Amino acid sequence: MSDELPEIPLIRVDTLRSEPTASWRVLKPVIDLEKCRKCWLCVDFCPDGVISKSEEGPVIDYRFCKGCGVCANECPVKAISMVREV
Amino acid sequence: MGKLTLLSGNKAVAYGVKLSRVQVVSAYPITPQTPIVEYIAEFVAKGELKAEYVHPEGEHSAIGAALAAALGGARSFTATCSQGFGYGFEVIAQAPAYRAPFVMAVANRTLGWYWALASDYSDTMTARDLGWIQYYVEGCQECLDAVIQLYRIAEDERVLLPAMMCLDGFHISHSSEPVNIPDQAEVDEFLPPRKVYDHTTDPDSKGYVFPVLPAPLHTPYRRMFEEILHRAKDVIKEVTKEFEERFGRKYGLIEEYRVEGADHLLITMGSMSTAAKRAVDKARSDGIKVGLIRVAFYRPFPVEEIRKVIEREGVASVGVVDRAVAHGTRMGPLGLDVLSVLYNLNGKVPVTNFIAGMGGDDVSVNDFMGMIDRLTKSSCPSGGCVRTVYIEHKPPKKAGLVEFKNTVYAPGCQLCAGCGATLVTRHVLRVIGKRSVLVFPPNCVSASIAMHFPSNWMGVPCVLANYAATGAYSRGLVRAYRVRGKKDVKVVAFAGDGCAADIGLQSLSSAAECGEPVLWITYDNEAYMNTGIQRSGTTPAKAWTTTTPVGTVWRGKREFPKDLISIMIAHRVPYIATASPAFLKDMEVKLRKAMEVVERGEGLAYVHIHSPCPTGWRFPESKTVEVARKAVLTGAWPLLEVDHGVFRLTVKPSKLLPLKEYVRLQGRFAHLSDGDVGEIQQVIEANWRRLLELHGKKLF
Ligand SMILES: Cc1ncc(C[n+]2csc(CCOP(=O)(O)OP(=O)(O)O)c2C)c(N)n1
Ligand code: SF4
Ligand code: SF4
Ligand code: SF4
Repeated sequence: MSDELPEIPLIRVDTLRSEPTASWRVLKPVIDLEKCRKCWLCVDFCPDGVISKSEEGPVIDYRFCKGCGVCANECPVKAISMVREV
Repeated sequence: MGKLTLLSGNKAVAYGVKLSRVQVVSAYPITPQTPIVEYIAEFVAKGELKAEYVHPEGEHSAIGAALAAALGGARSFTATCSQGFGYGFEVIAQAPAYRAPFVMAVANRTLGWYWALASDYSDTMTARDLGWIQYYVEGCQECLDAVIQLYRIAEDERVLLPAMMCLDGFHISHSSEPVNIPDQAEVDEFLPPRKVYDHTTDPDSKGYVFPVLPAPLHTPYRRMFEEILHRAKDVIKEVTKEFEERFGRKYGLIEEYRVEGADHLLITMGSMSTAAKRAVDKARSDGIKVGLIRVAFYRPFPVEEIRKVIEREGVASVGVVDRAVAHGTRMGPLGLDVLSVLYNLNGKVPVTNFIAGMGGDDVSVNDFMGMIDRLTKSSCPSGGCVRTVYIEHKPPKKAGLVEFKNTVYAPGCQLCAGCGATLVTRHVLRVIGKRSVLVFPPNCVSASIAMHFPSNWMGVPCVLANYAATGAYSRGLVRAYRVRGKKDVKVVAFAGDGCAADIGLQSLSSAAECGEPVLWITYDNEAYMNTGIQRSGTTPAKAWTTTTPVGTVWRGKREFPKDLISIMIAHRVPYIATASPAFLKDMEVKLRKAMEVVERGEGLAYVHIHSPCPTGWRFPESKTVEVARKAVLTGAWPLLEVDHGVFRLTVKPSKLLPLKEYVRLQGRFAHLSDGDVGEIQQVIEANWRRLLELHGKKLF
């Protein structure tokens, strides 16, 4: 087995690989785009940086959202609600 | 009599300490040892153990204080392992010379080299030749019993040496079994109060030990110490025998397990012995004559005891299982020691040295069956064969990984949901960009890099610095990039408060004083979080932590936090700032100023960022930014900068919010009365008035 291992185990800087964290979630943030004012505070404040901007409004990468609810707590117009995962 | 309770190894050690009526406890957190000193803190907080409790800034000091307490005539205790053991090594090496008996528990863990959290003996084996007594336990009951017996042994005037009680990290420290907790009266009868000897350092003593000797005395004293350790075997035999008579549990230098008529003999240490014994049972029931010796006391090494078994039973092959490697010898330390036992035997017994369980890898009953199988097949016609076999397992493969190219940051880190430090790290990475190298002491964020193996979630090279040397690692890198003409590369130290305020402060101070162009970021979650919420120098007054628990005697942390900004001002570094993840623009401006200072080579830039921790501060994970904001608006976390000596508040609320709006969000302050909150608020308001006065002034 040791033959398969590199003598020096390198961590690459150009390519990052992550295991999804969706399974951590108990509650899931859902954005009401009608209410959203595109202030992008949720984009800034999501600890894990899984919300991105788009023409229509913020988009959550649910593969990596941990369901912490910071976005919902910070949204000034309460456009994000935390709903139970099904 | 006692009572039977389910205890982890760590808790059993803590009970051993309590029953031994230890008088001074000094320790610094490190996984997997930490629960020992947390349980002891609880005993003290509740008034169940009357002991002095010292909270030093690192292991060098933690072990130093325990040693000195023993020198001063108190019964003292400390605990550590791994990196902490390495950091305390200088004190460990000096301890035997003082002839001051104390007990140090070591929840064995790999000494990095490559880091891991669980057990192998690469830490304690470094100290095997220093003159300490070393005891390796197999289970939780033995943890409790060993502590009590070791005080008896170490404090005996024929011994007077420090004793190390080694319990395998996680395999014992975090596994539970029913443990008999003896009655205090029974233990008191067995273990008298600490005797104060003539050489106790004290103006009333006859004299004292100053551990310096002229060269010609070093060899004779080494010989003498060797004799003392040897003599300790008699004391060990007496003490374990008396313990058995009183408590009905048998211990000794070695444990023999089904050795009668054994053709093959396994020699093991620690927790793996349990699986090995099951394998011996299985093999015996298959008609294979195999037995086992567990080495309990590794120092003094039980040479005669092992040899006696081998001779008595006419053992034909020996398998020594090592959880350590003596690199450069092709063997493990136990293997080497056993070879020296066998040297004088008539007829040469073949020895197979198995190296197994490194980094905490499990060694299963099946693994031991394989080892026994090898022993039965090890033919050695010419005699005296020695082989080394590595027991290797394949790591589990991570599935479903998502790839991110050319980015400074990828989601998917293993930090807690809602973690303030994650938010801080992500924005720091965004601002500092790709031409940076991050220097990490151990902390939550660097632990998440470890968990990400074989990738990382940060797209810049990261260096894992030893905790106390974070400033130094940063400086070495700065100098390397300078000589290589890569002046655009920014070296960014990313330290928790435990590093910046405590264990790493002198390294930071030296880098600051020497004007090293390093961007130093302290993310302050106000405790040692990675090891599970222990008090640090910046923990707020009255806050609950696991080493400042709330009981009848203690009510959280007694002291006010260390003011690192003032410390940096005293160093006159060109840029100093605090920041908060609730005020991201402010943070970004400050980071950019700090980067410019470093780019111009003006010196160290220091940015101290508040990092609310839902896990340790006990608030709902959705409230991280709200907590951070309230800290600023109540004056608990003022946002300021000192730019080339000019002090400025960068966020200046016209009126501070009442402190309770911040404090009452957090469970760590749940025990505070309104009066307590008022008291802290007064200190905060006084500080705020001081800062208002300083606003706009040139400090240096
Ligand atoms: C010399 C040494 N002692 C102790 C440890 C164990 N240790 C690892 S992380 C940590 C706590 C880190 O606390 P802090 O620096 O405040 O960062 P946080 O985990 O809170 O983010 C400790 C004590 C170590 N790795 N090295
Ligand atoms: S719930 Fe948390 S992780 Fe998920 S998008 Fe909102 S802030 Fe980000
Ligand atoms: S915080 Fe609320 S309003 Fe602002 S972008 Fe996000 S969802 Fe829209
Ligand atoms: S313990 Fe606190 S600082 Fe550490 S990862 Fe969890 S939330 Fe973050």
